[in-house]
Amino acid sequence: MAPLEPWEKVLVDGEAFPQTDHGELTCIECHLGANVSDKGAAHEGMVISPSAQPEIYCAECHEEESAAFPNSLHNTQAGYWTAINTRNTVEGVVPEGHDQLQEMFGNHCATCHTTCGECHVSQPKNVGGGLFTGHVFEATPPMTRSCTACHGSRVGNEFLGKNEGYPGDVHFREARMSCVKCHEGAALHGMTDASEAIETATPQDHRFSGAEDPKCIDCHAEVAAGDGIDMHERHANNDTLSCQVCHSVTYTSCDGCHVAVSETSGNPYFETDATYMTFLIGRNPIQSEDRPYEYVPVRHVPSSPTSYEFYGENLLPNFDALPTWVYSTPHNIQRYTPQNASCEACHSNPEIFLTADKVKEEELNANAQVIVNVLPASVDLILAAMPQPATHNELVTTSCTACHTEGIREAPVSPESHADFLDEKCSGCHKLP
Amino acid sequence: MIKNKFSGILIVLGFFLSACTAANAASQSPSATEESIVTEAVSTLAPEAGECLACHTDKQRLIDTAEHVEEIAEAESKGVG
Repeated sequence: MAPLEPWEKVLVDGEAFPQTDHGELTCIECHLGANVSDKGAAHEGMVISPSAQPEIYCAECHEEESAAFPNSLHNTQAGYWTAINTRNTVEGVVPEGHDQLQEMFGNHCATCHTTCGECHVSQPKNVGGGLFTGHVFEATPPMTRSCTACHGSRVGNEFLGKNEGYPGDVHFREARMSCVKCHEGAALHGMTDASEAIETATPQDHRFSGAEDPKCIDCHAEVAAGDGIDMHERHANNDTLSCQVCHSVTYTSCDGCHVAVSETSGNPYFETDATYMTFLIGRNPIQSEDRPYEYVPVRHVPSSPTSYEFYGENLLPNFDALPTWVYSTPHNIQRYTPQNASCEACHSNPEIFLTADKVKEEELNANAQVIVNVLPASVDLILAAMPQPATHNELVTTSCTACHTEGIREAPVSPESHADFLDEKCSGCHKLP
Repeated sequence: MIKNKFSGILIVLGFFLSACTAANAASQSPSATEESIVTEAVSTLAPEAGECLACHTDKQRLIDTAEHVEEIAEAESKGVG
């Protein structure tokens, strides 16, 4: 997105703006300052971003949104602190150095904080700011000047098809859907659970905390076993795979982000070691009732044990507490993808799984829960697998190895090649009748 | 006698008309006051809107008075953020 000229950022549409609801207010009612022609005097005491205080400037008309917004991740940036604190806290104790992390956060991360106005009337300050359309407020933020202006390098490029050689998301490419078609205002404003009162709602601590919202089947309710699609017959109803495992394509990963303050200009800056394209399926590091999938696409985030070393030594002593290959929802959904082209495209394709050989040695520990140790069995093996006898329907235990390791009750002993398989995966091949 | 009578009628009529005029003037005074309030309200708002909008709707004036500040603090950054 090209930056605006300084004059362009503050140019008000003298015809359109006064016709709007916000145009009925005087400038000074929101921005303070003084009603004089001298520029310096006019701007003295001016509030540049009134909506940074929504309780004062917005709540009179936008009561619900203003009450909820303090809990919004757009306001709290809690996701950053959840990750930073997890890596910085050892056995529940925050070690010395937290002040240094606060300083780091203020210099490098807090710039992504946004206000009501930075979505509804101007471009985010983080990308240079500037009014969208002559100070006319937009109920629906313009996607490329608001949403992807911040969420651009990964989500935006994926969604809009800007990664060379990879198509944009079908929801944009075919249906021209904007972000807010799925990410509705209530969620963006921090109103995450309609059943909870805003005053007592638990603020989100991460964008993937709580129920999936949006959820693919909210629109694609017809996707299920029995919908006539063979792959859905086998995979749609057992929570083994997130939708993106089959329906996303190659996306961006990054390595080694380091932050510092420039000696020459005094400005904060960052450097990343590498940016590259990946499609890798890993084990779900945040498996829960809300996100029960065993396998999900995983993206490498540029966190490093030394990311913040400019501010002090060993500021992330518990670095391995979180994986560097993280749960991901790539925004480049396709109906047809290389991995869903056939059974073999996935089941006989170790290249698309995050196996240990694809993880840097120093990150093996952090990613232990994500690394796929046992690849899915080949389709031939699955088809040849002996089905379970009908009597297994009445078993109260799901522990296959309890009987099949030593052949208790004349159960066939599992072959040596099955030694790494886990109990819960047996029925993946050995189907119940 | 007729002259006196006519003069009397004129005096009474003049008194009546002057009374009407006074009453009329009295009844007009609130609306005159209202008008002056409206005028004051407009005169309060108009310059305020005028001073801010006069500048911020004038492209050339903004170009002439804009200060070039370093907007993007992370211009020295390298790689994808």
